[in-house]
Amino acid sequence: MLSASDILTYLVFPGGLFAVLFGLLLLGFERIAVARFQGRVGPPLLQNVFDAFKLRGKEVLIPKDATNKIFFCIAPVLGFVGMMAAISILPISGVYGGTGANSDLIVLIYLLALPAVSNVMGGSASGSTYSAISVSREVVLMFAYEITFIIVLFTVALNAGAGEGAVFSLKGIVDYQVVNGSFIADPKMIPAFLGFVIFLLATLEVPPFHIAENSADVMSGYLMEYSGMPLALFEMTHALKLLVLITVLQIFFMPGVAGDSIIFNLFWYLVKSVGIVAVISLIHASLASFRVDQALKFLMTVPIALSLVSLFLVIFA
Amino acid sequence: MLSKFATRSPWLFRINTGSCNGCDVELATTAMIPRYDVERLGCKYIGSPKHADIVLVTGSITARSEPYLKRLLEEIPDPKVVVAIGICPISGGVFRDSYSIRGPLDKFVDVDVNVAGCPVRPQSIIDGVAEAIGIWKEKIKNWEEE
Repeated sequence: MLSASDILTYLVFPGGLFAVLFGLLLLGFERIAVARFQGRVGPPLLQNVFDAFKLRGKEVLIPKDATNKIFFCIAPVLGFVGMMAAISILPISGVYGGTGANSDLIVLIYLLALPAVSNVMGGSASGSTYSAISVSREVVLMFAYEITFIIVLFTVALNAGAGEGAVFSLKGIVDYQVVNGSFIADPKMIPAFLGFVIFLLATLEVPPFHIAENSADVMSGYLMEYSGMPLALFEMTHALKLLVLITVLQIFFMPGVAGDSIIFNLFWYLVKSVGIVAVISLIHASLASFRVDQALKFLMTVPIALSLVSLFLVIFA
Repeated sequence: MLSKFATRSPWLFRINTGSCNGCDVELATTAMIPRYDVERLGCKYIGSPKHADIVLVTGSITARSEPYLKRLLEEIPDPKVVVAIGICPISGGVFRDSYSIRGPLDKFVDVDVNVAGCPVRPQSIIDGVAEAIGIWKEKIKNWEEE
């Protein structure tokens, strides 16, 4: 049954308003951090919030030669709704328990694929050549990085089960680590952690995986024909995706709590998120991008091998 | 609503209409380097004309590029601000008597800011963009009232 607190969870905290604003702030922070690493001043912290508000007010254009106008219009909504659903089922350790459902880890696999699906759907429906190239690259990358994510996910589930089957509940995984120490301090899980970080970079499309919407060769990629409100939805989906992936990283590997106080734990969660974004922007500022075939080769070997090493260690050691 | 936030996030779109590349180098690289950094104003270079707010036109509009320029200017959603970068789109520069030049730019569209120079200095580019943001604010107000 839908209660008032469920609606509040979905619309205000930790989903909805809080997630969108915090995600946009994290994106702004990433842009500033990259600018500082390059010796520039960078935009103001609220830059991505300004961008989103500006796009809401602009004219919406639907191309005359779009191959499917219905798909073109619902694609941005699909990704946004998927990410909103994902953020509201994720527990924040010591602050919010998530849904507490027994198998929300499986739901997460499907929800995390939705932004990429919406990009592919919107890009291929828009009838632009740039979008078509970008979509084909996105699909190639998606098939490569999803395998890593699923292997890491089962490794974490098995490790949290401690030899008695797997735990497919996000809350169960967090509770296990709060009692027995974070997985990032567990030597068996270090390869899986590295694999997950590579997956995170590939999903967020930051260099070295800035391929599908690389402005140097495919201009704006799948966003080529979008303008106004739909483009703002894509921007917000991107912000939410960043937040969701960072939260998943914290649930899987570092859900440590700072004490009993909710305020203190929330603050600790925000600090951890900003720290992870700082590391991502260091990688962003210091690396160049792969070609799509190089990226495929890399993603099919290194992160999968790393996560498989962890899986075998967890099963047999 | 729009005018409050929009002036903090002007997105720039470059059109090269047969430029010698001098102004494009100043726009795409020099204006972005640590010493000048146009991103301070919230600007961002974007690849699609549909996302554009401020259009920067370089080059003296050759006969080959004329139809593409017209089509791109139509694709940019209103309200937009057009900035002519360098002497070529302003007057044709040293090429103005050539048989293959269809310029200057104000034959095709109302130009809001002229940034002269050959090539333009990065300081004057940033000055021109800042002026364009002011004009853009006025345009949004008029556009919202309509």
